Amino acid sequence: MSSASNNSFILDVRGLTKVFGGLTAVNDVTLQIPRQGIVSVIGPNGAGKTTFFNMITGIYEPTTGFIELDGVNLVGLRPDQVTSAGIARTFQNIRLFASMDCQENVMVGRHSRLKAGYIDSLFRTKRFYESEQEARDVANMMLDFVGLGQFRYEMATNLPYGDQRKLEIARALATSPKLVLLDEPAAGMNPRETEELKSLIRRIRDELGVTVCLIEHDMRLVMTLSEYITVLNYGSKLAEGLPHEIRNNPQVMEAYLGRGAVAGEYGKEAVAGMQEGV
Amino acid sequence: MDLSTLGPFLVGVITSGLVLGFVYAIIALGYTMVYGVLQLINFAHSEVFVTGAVVGFEIFRVLEPSPMNGYLKLLIALIAAMVASGMLNVIIERLAYRPLRNAPRLVPLITAIGVSLILQDVIRIIEGFQGRFDLTYKLPPAFNTNFCGADSSCEALGTALTKVGISLQIKEVIVVAVSLLSLALLNYLVNSTKLGRAIRAVAQDRVTAGLMGIDSNRIIALTFLIGGALGGISGVLFGMKFGTINAYSGFDPGIIAFTAAVLGGIGSIPGAVLGGLVLGVIQNLIGVTNVLGSILNIANLQAIDASYQRIGAFLVLVLILIFKPTGLLGRSNTEKV
Amino acid sequence: MTAIRPGSQPPTAAPDRTWWLIIVGIITSSLLMLTQEPTWRAALPGGIAKFLTNPLVGSLLLTLFLSNLLFAFRWKAAAWAKALVFFGSLFIILPWAGRDNTAIFDLAIQIGIFAALALGLNIVVGLAGLLDLGYIAFFAVGAYTWGIFGSGQFAKILGYFADNGGPVGGGLRYLLGGLLLTILGAVVMSIISKVKGKWNTGQRWANFLAIMGLVAGIIMSLRGVLILMSPQAQSLMSGVNPNFFWLFLVLALFAAASVGVIIGLPVLKLKGDYLAIITLGLGEVIRVLANNLSTYSNGSQGITPIVSPTVPFMNAIAGALGFSPDQYNLFFLYFLVIAIIAVIILANVRLDRSRIGRAWVAIREDEVAAQAMGVPLMQTKLIAFATGASFAGIMGVIFAAKQTFISPESFILTQSTSILSMVVLGGLGSIPGVILGAAIVTILNISLLPSLGEATAALKLPQQINPAQLQRLVFGTILVMMMLFRPEGMLPSARQQRLMHEDDDPSDNETPQDSLKHSAVEPAAEVYSPGTASIKDDQRTGGAR
Repeated sequence: MSSASNNSFILDVRGLTKVFGGLTAVNDVTLQIPRQGIVSVIGPNGAGKTTFFNMITGIYEPTTGFIELDGVNLVGLRPDQVTSAGIARTFQNIRLFASMDCQENVMVGRHSRLKAGYIDSLFRTKRFYESEQEARDVANMMLDFVGLGQFRYEMATNLPYGDQRKLEIARALATSPKLVLLDEPAAGMNPRETEELKSLIRRIRDELGVTVCLIEHDMRLVMTLSEYITVLNYGSKLAEGLPHEIRNNPQVMEAYLGRGAVAGEYGKEAVAGMQEGV
Repeated sequence: MDLSTLGPFLVGVITSGLVLGFVYAIIALGYTMVYGVLQLINFAHSEVFVTGAVVGFEIFRVLEPSPMNGYLKLLIALIAAMVASGMLNVIIERLAYRPLRNAPRLVPLITAIGVSLILQDVIRIIEGFQGRFDLTYKLPPAFNTNFCGADSSCEALGTALTKVGISLQIKEVIVVAVSLLSLALLNYLVNSTKLGRAIRAVAQDRVTAGLMGIDSNRIIALTFLIGGALGGISGVLFGMKFGTINAYSGFDPGIIAFTAAVLGGIGSIPGAVLGGLVLGVIQNLIGVTNVLGSILNIANLQAIDASYQRIGAFLVLVLILIFKPTGLLGRSNTEKV
Repeated sequence: MTAIRPGSQPPTAAPDRTWWLIIVGIITSSLLMLTQEPTWRAALPGGIAKFLTNPLVGSLLLTLFLSNLLFAFRWKAAAWAKALVFFGSLFIILPWAGRDNTAIFDLAIQIGIFAALALGLNIVVGLAGLLDLGYIAFFAVGAYTWGIFGSGQFAKILGYFADNGGPVGGGLRYLLGGLLLTILGAVVMSIISKVKGKWNTGQRWANFLAIMGLVAGIIMSLRGVLILMSPQAQSLMSGVNPNFFWLFLVLALFAAASVGVIIGLPVLKLKGDYLAIITLGLGEVIRVLANNLSTYSNGSQGITPIVSPTVPFMNAIAGALGFSPDQYNLFFLYFLVIAIIAVIILANVRLDRSRIGRAWVAIREDEVAAQAMGVPLMQTKLIAFATGASFAGIMGVIFAAKQTFISPESFILTQSTSILSMVVLGGLGSIPGVILGAAIVTILNISLLPSLGEATAALKLPQQINPAQLQRLVFGTILVMMMLFRPEGMLPSARQQRLMHEDDDPSDNETPQDSLKHSAVEPAAEVYSPGTASIKDDQRTGGAR
C-alpha cells in the first residue's frame, strides 16, 4: 500500500486528480493531515477546494490518486462507508433535514454507529432501546457541545443561519469521526459568531480529540486557527506551510490579488485578513 | 415463409417502425421540452396528445362530407389540434404546476399524475356524451391508398420500393413529411430565435435567467405552448397512423415516447428524435418476433407477440437508465454539493 | 403519526367530547342498523324505509357510521368512551350489519385490504420519498402466490409439464443442473462483489453474466421441481390443502419482498421522476406477464375458484351469532384482516420511530446529506421497498382468498394510482391519515360511485359516462386538489406538516423554552395511542390554511 505506516498523519492524500470532461478541477494534490491537528485548505473561488473535499468523502471518485485514513484506503468507497471509516463533513450550502428537529438531525448522524437493525426495530429488542438511548445521548451531548442544547426540540430550519452551521457540526461529530471536514463553516456568520466558532473548533480538537480540516474564506479565522495551511489555485497546490509562511508567500498574494488592477474586493479583503490574523 | 423473404420482410418492418418512430419522436419532444425547463415529467402530456388526436378526429369527421381537398382538411386538423393541445398545456401549467414551483419535487409529480387521470375521464365524458368511445379516423380516401401505387405517375418507383419490402400508404408518407417539417420548424425556433435562446437559458438555470431579465414564467408558459402544439400534431399523426383512438390511448405511446426522450437524453431535441426512431423500430421488431421465429424456425420466439411490445419499451427504459442514464445524446448533470 | 416530540399532549383548552362521541356513535349505529336489519326496517313507515334503502343513502349512512372510528380516534374524550365506540363499532355493529348485508362485510374487508396496501405504500412514498407507481404489482405477486396454489391452477401447471416436460427422470437433471448454475452464479457474484472501488468493464460483464446464470439456474431448478412433481397433478386438482393458507401468508410476504428487492436493485439508484415512471413500467410488466404467461396464470381468464382456509372455531362463533354458512368465510377474513392491520400498524410505527425510520426520512429530505451522515442509500431504500412490498404481498393472499377469483384486470395501473391517492389524501407519512384515505377512497370506489351510477340510472345517460366509472376523475381530482391546497393531507404527520409549511410564519412554533418542558424523554413511547395527537394536529382540524 503506502507510507501510511507513518503514524503522525491521520489522512494521507497523494496525487489526487479529478477531471470533469476536459476540465481538470483538482490536479495532482498531495496533502497530509497531522493527527489531532487543525489544518486549512484555502484558495480563491473555483480553486477546487470543495471538489477536493468531495473526493475525500466519496461523493466524487478521483480520476487518479489515493486517499488513506489511518492506513485504510478510502478510494472507491461510498460516502456512507467513508463516514463509517471515520470522516465526517459539513456542507458549504447547509444541508439539514428540514422536517426534523435538532435532536433528530443529530441522531441521524449517529446512524452508522448504531447496532440495532431492522429486526431489532421491529421487535423492540433490548438492543433497540440501547441504540436509541445511545443515539439520543450522543445527540444531546453534541448539541450541548456546540451550544445548541436548549434548541433540542426546535425545528432545524427555524434556527438562525449561524446556529444551523453549528448544528451541522454537531451532526457531523455524532458520527464519532477521526477527522471532520468543515466546508466554509464561518460563511454567513457575524464576527461574534465567528469568534465562537473559533473556540468551538479548538474544543473539537482539544476535548474530543478529533482532527479538523477546514475550507474557509475568512482569513482572520484561518490564520489564527490553523496549524498548517494548504493553498489551492486552479486545482493545483500552490503552496503549503505554517500560517506565517503563507502570509509572506508572494505567490499566494498574487493568486488572491491577481496581477495589476484585477484585484477584487474579495482578494483585498482576504489578504488584509491574512496580515491581520495572528 | 422462408429465409429468402426475410430481407424484404425486415425492411418492411423497419420502415413501418421508422414511420411509427417519427410519431413517437414528436410526442417525445413534448416531454423533453417541458422536462428541460421544469425538470418535471409532464405525465399529462399523454392526454394533451390524445386531445390533439380527438380534435383531429372531430375535424375529419365534420369535414368528411365536404368536397374539400384532403390535404386542406389535414392542414385544418393539424392547426386545430395544435391550438387545442397547446392551449390545454398552457392551462395545465398555469393551474396545476405554477403554484407548485417551489414545492418539494414529489408534489408537482403527483399533481401531474392527477392531471393526467382527470383529463382521461374528461375526454372520455366529452366524447361519451355523443355516445362514442373508440374514435375511428375518417380520413380522405386518397390517404389510404398506396404511395406510388398502381396507376400513379410514379408507379415504377412504387414497384421498385415494393420489391425491397417497402410499401407505404400515402398517410404514412404524410406522417413522415409532417414530422420532418415540425422538426425543422422546432429546430429553427429553439436554435435561431430569441425565444429559443430564452428557453435554453431558462432550461440551464432559471434563477440566473431571471436575473438576466428573462421572465421565466412567460418562457415556461411558452414552452408548454410549444410542447402542447407538438403534442397536437403528434396526436393527429397518431390517429392517422393507427386509425382508432380513445380517451385512454395516450398511456402506451406516452410511456414509449418518454422512454424515447430518456433514450436520446432527456432535454435534447435530436436525442428525442433518435430515441423515437430507435424505439419505433424496436417495437415493430418485437411485434413480429413470432413471425421471425417461424421464419428462422426457433420455437421459443414464436410465443412473443405484439402483447410484449410495451414490455420491450420498459425494458429498454430500465436498461438505459441503469447503463447510460444520460441517454445517447444527453449531457451528464451532476448535482452540486 | 410521527409525534416525535415526546410528551406533547392535546391542549387542555380543547372541549371534552366524551358524550358527543357516545351520542354520535349511537345515532350513526342505529341509522346503519335501520337500513340493514330487516325487522327494524319493517317497523318504519314505508316512505322512510324506501328512502333509507336507496343505495346512495345507504352508502352515505355507512360512511357516516365508519367516521365514528375516526371520531373515536381524534376527539378528546374519556378513554372508556373511545374504546367503547371504537371496538363496539369494529367488533359488534359492523359484523352485525354485515350479517344482514354481505355487501357491507365485503366493503369492510376491502377497506382493510386497501388500508394495508396504503400503509405499505406510505412507507415507500410517505417516509422514504420514493414515488412507486407500480406498487400494485406486489399485491399481484401475493395474490398469484395463493391463487395458483389455492386453486386447480397448480395441477394444470403440473399437467402441462407432465405433457411437455419430458420424462420425469429429466426433472432431476434439470434440478441438479439448475442448482449447479445457481450456485456458480452466486459464487461468481460474491467474488466480484468483494472487489472494492469502481468496477471495470470486464467485472461488470462478469457480474451481469453471473446474474443471468443465477436467474437461469433458478428457473431451471424450478422447472426440474415441476417436472418431478408432475405425476402428482391428479391429487392437486382442487389446490393444496386450504390450511396451507397460513404458510402461504408468510411465503407471499417473502415472495413480494424478494420481488421488491429484485425490482428495486436496478431502479432505486434513480432520482424521483425516473423512479416513478420506471416503477410504473415494471408494474405494467408484471401485469402483462400475468396476462401472457397463461401456462402459469391462466392468462386473462384468471384463476378461479380459489379456496380459503376453514377455521372451525371461527365458524362455530359465526354460526352461533346467526351468520349463514356462506358468510362464514367473510366473517373469518374480516377478523383476520383486522388482526393483520393491527400488526402492520405496529410494524409501521415501530419502524418509523427507529434508526431505520429516521434514515428513511433523512433520505427523503436530502440524499446527499443522509449518505454523508453514514446512511447507506441503496440498502435503506431497498428495505423500504421490500417492507412496503411485503405488506402488499400478505394482503394479496387475503384478496385472492376473499374474491375466490383473480385476473390481471385486478392489478391495473388505476389500482396503483388509487392507492397513491389514498396515501396523498390522508397525508404522506401519517398512519391514521392513510387509513382514513384508504377508507374514503375505497368507499367512493366500490360503494358511492356505483350507487351514484344506480341513482342516476333514471337519467338514461350514455353508457360511456356512467358515474360508476369515474374512478380516474375522482382519483385525479384528489391528487391534484390535495397537492395544490393541502399537500400534507387530511391527517398530516407531524413531520410533513413542518416540511410543507416551512415558509409559513415560524413564530407560531414553540419557543425553545416551551420545548424544554417536554424534555422528559420517554423511550418506550411506542404505544400507538389514539387521541394523543400533537398540538398542531389538533389545531389543523379547522382546515384553515
